Amino acid sequence: MTVRSSTQQHKPLPNCSAACPVHTDTRGYAEAVSEGDYERALELLLQANPFPSVCGRICHHPCEKECRRKEVDAPVNLRMLKRFVVENTKDYRRERRRRIEPFRGKKVAIIGSGPAGLTAAHDLALLGYHTVVFEQDSRLGGMLAHAIPRYRLPLHALNEDIDDILALGVEAKTGCRVGRDISLEEIRESHDAVVVAIGLSESVTLPIPGSTSEGVLPGITFLWDVANGHPPPLGERVLIIGGGNVAVDAARTARRLGVSRVFLACLESREEMPAWQWEIQEAQEEGIEILNSWGPKAILSRKGKVAGLELKHCTRVFDEKGRFNPQYDEARTMTLDVDQIVMTIGQRADLSCFNERELAMERGRLMCDPHTLSTSEPGVFACGEVMTGPGSAIQAIANGHQAARAVHHYLQTGERLVLPREEISHLGPLPPRVASLARPMPRKDAALSDPQERTRNFSEIESPFNEQQALEEARRCLACAMGAQLESSQACAGCLTCARVCPFGVATVERTAAMPAEECLACGLCAAECPAAGVALKRFGTNQMKKTLREMLASTHASHILRPFVIAYCCLYETTGRQYLQPQSREEIESSGILRVMVPCVGRLSSLDLVEPFELGADCVAVIACKEGACLYPGSEELLQRRVAHAQKFLEEIGLKWASLQYHRTQENAEASWPAIWKEVRRQIAPESGKEAFK
Amino acid sequence: MIVADQKPLHEVKEFVETHQKILVAGCGTCVTVCLSGGAAEARLLASGLRIAFQRAHHPKTIEDDTVLRQCDEEFVLPLLEKVKGEGFDAVITLACGVGVNFLADRLGAIPVFPGVNTTFYGAVMEPGLWAEMCSGCGECITHLTGGICPIARCSKRLFNGPCGGSEKGRCEVDPLNTPCVWQLIYDRMKELGRLHELRNIIPAKNWRPALDGGVRHTVRERIYRLEYKNR
Repeated sequence: MTVRSSTQQHKPLPNCSAACPVHTDTRGYAEAVSEGDYERALELLLQANPFPSVCGRICHHPCEKECRRKEVDAPVNLRMLKRFVVENTKDYRRERRRRIEPFRGKKVAIIGSGPAGLTAAHDLALLGYHTVVFEQDSRLGGMLAHAIPRYRLPLHALNEDIDDILALGVEAKTGCRVGRDISLEEIRESHDAVVVAIGLSESVTLPIPGSTSEGVLPGITFLWDVANGHPPPLGERVLIIGGGNVAVDAARTARRLGVSRVFLACLESREEMPAWQWEIQEAQEEGIEILNSWGPKAILSRKGKVAGLELKHCTRVFDEKGRFNPQYDEARTMTLDVDQIVMTIGQRADLSCFNERELAMERGRLMCDPHTLSTSEPGVFACGEVMTGPGSAIQAIANGHQAARAVHHYLQTGERLVLPREEISHLGPLPPRVASLARPMPRKDAALSDPQERTRNFSEIESPFNEQQALEEARRCLACAMGAQLESSQACAGCLTCARVCPFGVATVERTAAMPAEECLACGLCAAECPAAGVALKRFGTNQMKKTLREMLASTHASHILRPFVIAYCCLYETTGRQYLQPQSREEIESSGILRVMVPCVGRLSSLDLVEPFELGADCVAVIACKEGACLYPGSEELLQRRVAHAQKFLEEIGLKWASLQYHRTQENAEASWPAIWKEVRRQIAPESGKEAFK
Repeated sequence: MIVADQKPLHEVKEFVETHQKILVAGCGTCVTVCLSGGAAEARLLASGLRIAFQRAHHPKTIEDDTVLRQCDEEFVLPLLEKVKGEGFDAVITLACGVGVNFLADRLGAIPVFPGVNTTFYGAVMEPGLWAEMCSGCGECITHLTGGICPIARCSKRLFNGPCGGSEKGRCEVDPLNTPCVWQLIYDRMKELGRLHELRNIIPAKNWRPALDGGVRHTVRERIYRLEYKNR
């Protein structure tokens, strides 16, 4: 029996998360990075995806394509932030590992250890199943381990993810080929459910004259052999047929094997090529010669060995309905002398591990239902590329999650689960009016090693972000829909203050104030100025900050704190490292007499935020704004200065010295400026530090 | 809208020197809009007073609460209950004078102190600037002056201006911030094609509906003391 679960609906997601097949909390991890909490960022990554190390390197990052920052300048480099997180939390990641003792008394077999299979194994182990992965190779990872070239994905990165998954208690049977070492039937006898995740591991070949000549290499076999240290002997000139990512991988791999002329011929024009644009560009930098709009006509051979390729001009790849239906100008041909030809025109599943009696197949394909991920046999499911056709790693991971759900449901109820159709709504583009007022900040791209250098070997070509780059890039995130919102319409007097101070023209007032989530850039200025104290900030509301402040002070002994005791509000957006982002120890606060509070733009501090620390025992409050002209939010500097002046007057009335509330700005490097400013703050407040100045 | 300015903190502090548990009551309407007595200001004042008394070694319990309007029984009731129920021995209200009175009438032995000086009925001329527009005199004469009030907006409250202190369209009392209202009336009447009417002397006004006539009340018969509500 099949049950249908209702359509899954979500609140509007930020575009980045909506575009991600596993809906990673992209905005959340960018925020965590900007706050120096890389561990929290990792937790967010792992919540959605057991392969963050892999995806930090090779994900095609659909999140970036939809990032709303592109309306301002360029998308946030989310993939590199992800990579930064995994590179900087390795110890933490090892320590957080825990083994899940299977508690459901049921056993699930996963056939194939690519991203889909291992994701399903990961989820099922977490759900309490004894999970066993069958892998024909000696190494886990499927295509990630064998077909993605090492210069893009080094093994150690893949292993970080795989080790995590195995640590859950997932059992791996490597070197065990189904159909040879064990049959599906045998597996079914000893397991309660099976997931077939064998991927598309065979290259499709072209039935053109000469295709059986020596020197015609199937693309996947070629990449597999190179990855495993058995590169085939190659001549001076190699041609790759195909325009997808595997073709580009093969071309760049051939280049690294010392081939002096590598050609890539494909039917598509440059724009139509299905390979990622950045991959194509990098390949061209490495000297790959791309022949667009040429299709193979015949492989020329000499004594049974490849000697060249005759190409015919392709006039059209897709027909009017967008279907693949290439047309050629047979009269326009060319011949290229080459020593080897690598075929990367498509892949198919190697289904020889099953027989038709065990699992139904149709025209060489596994019969399966994409809505339930089920096959012809009850309890046997399929996921990954064998189910979906060729796709990206992250799509396979998403499909692996779904398979785990389907299996879990089946094992709990005996029924098939119709996977809910996801209806993801997102915020839509940032309105141009708002985008035009946002401050541009250039995107940081990954540094690639020099093309001359990088083609000498298979070393990773991309350098990770350093901490400063990561922090700077993370704060480019617009924190979509994490800005201001009216706490209750009752609190609002419709005074228009929010609309009058909003630097982006977002806040409006009809009967009450409205800050449309999809427009607000989360500067916090309206919240700081609202006379009804009725605007809350979803991200970094200062009430939370004050709570933290109280907690920090509660853990210190007031009498042990070095006086004068200064509470320093510093701009979080100026940090270049974690030094000042990590919480201070009690001892540090007590011995330094400085309690620093890192605020994403000190412009969001209300008058109350400036005054209240004195209640908590501060002798002095220092507001340290960013260096002149550096603020992300137009108007924030002016509003803050006026607010400080207002609070200074107020404090003076209470009887505090003018120096009790100080306004400073950093110069050049903030982290170098802060200690000097703190010293200066103490000097200003201390001199005639008579007893009457402090409690 | 009623405009009010905050009293100096030391003045407010003196009001409550002898009290122990004090409630600072904000008002969510006019004084919120003119940024002098809403929830944010109530919190700030409460915090400021706590600091001041703490520093004087006389710590007191000072809390804050803000209601939508301090001039309506229904909104004020929870505030009264809080004051009485939680043992506050004084209230500072940041509402206009209306709120001060309204609370004082209802708080028995508990004193109520003003936290603001109620200044005028005014409008926002530009963000952050409020100007007086009406004096609440009880009998409006602006039909005679093109809609511009010489009572509220003339320093001398002249009915037939301008006086000799009108210079280049500005009032000699405060030329920077105050236009001469009789210049404004002149320009307006000219624009309306009614300049000739200014030849007429505007007679003395009946001031009885204003403060001179004693305490004023307004009754709306259509909802006043409904019988079915009192049954």
